[in-house]
Amino acid sequence: MAIFKSNDPKPEPAKPAATPAPVPESPRPVATAQPLSPVTPPARTGVPMASVISKALKITGQLESTEDIQIDGEIDGDVRGVGVKIGSNAKVKGTVYGDEVELAGTIDGKIEAKKVILNGTARMTGDVVHQDIKIESGAFIDGHLKPEFGKSGAKPASVTSTPRQLQSVPTGT
Amino acid sequence: MFALTRRPDTRKAPDRKASGRESAGSPVSRLGKGVKVRGILEIEGELVVSGQVFGQIAALKVTITPDGFVEGDIVAREVVIGGKLEGRVYAPTVLVEITAQVAGKLFHHTIEVMRGARVDGRTPWRPLNFFENLDHLPEA
Repeated sequence: MAIFKSNDPKPEPAKPAATPAPVPESPRPVATAQPLSPVTPPARTGVPMASVISKALKITGQLESTEDIQIDGEIDGDVRGVGVKIGSNAKVKGTVYGDEVELAGTIDGKIEAKKVILNGTARMTGDVVHQDIKIESGAFIDGHLKPEFGKSGAKPASVTSTPRQLQSVPTGT
Repeated sequence: MFALTRRPDTRKAPDRKASGRESAGSPVSRLGKGVKVRGILEIEGELVVSGQVFGQIAALKVTITPDGFVEGDIVAREVVIGGKLEGRVYAPTVLVEITAQVAGKLFHHTIEVMRGARVDGRTPWRPLNFFENLDHLPEA
């Protein structure tokens, strides 16, 4: 027991001896923490801004996005996004899929979107599959506009029209 | 100790200011977190990658943020890696930040690797002529 008692008071003087030791070490952690702060600024600038594909950028390949994108550059390939804005100087060669597509530039391909807005400067070569469309005067369209109000609505209409024709043919002859 | 910590700070500060001025003048392209690109990206300006890129990037400056991931080759004048990179980099100036995870080769003339960065691969030095005359990438 005497050994244990003697051990107990020992850590107490040892503690004050240990506390001054970390004090000179503290500048070291400070030095390592400093590089942390310069890393955050690029993250701040990158996160709040939506995705932008600027004038000078050319992409050859596929582009997929789960957030809104602004395209001012040139894309040779398909674009899949949610909200897609294509600027007046932009060129897209391929299909643009999205919930909402706003076109002020050039598309050589196809648009498949729920809501389509073709601005006055738009130049669309190819088909537009849409549910809701707005076309401003001045827009150039070379292609078909295909409204698609969901597949469940389109199918029964075609089914009812075909039996009528079949019935009318035998009565006529 | 203090001298060591101050030196990189003074170096970084003008770099960031300069990059901010560049971004105001020349167009900056940003690929957000939700963006995934497969293919070749060519830009006469700065590209900030917070999303995923599978393919080649050719730009003046490329920044990979901590959220960004690039698989492929990057050719630029300046590359700042803060995220994940698997592939090769050909740039006279390379900065590897502490959040970086790099697997591959970093061809450089000047490189800075922050303490804490994970670099798995080689960092070959090349003279400036090598980057100026870089028409096509040497195959791995």
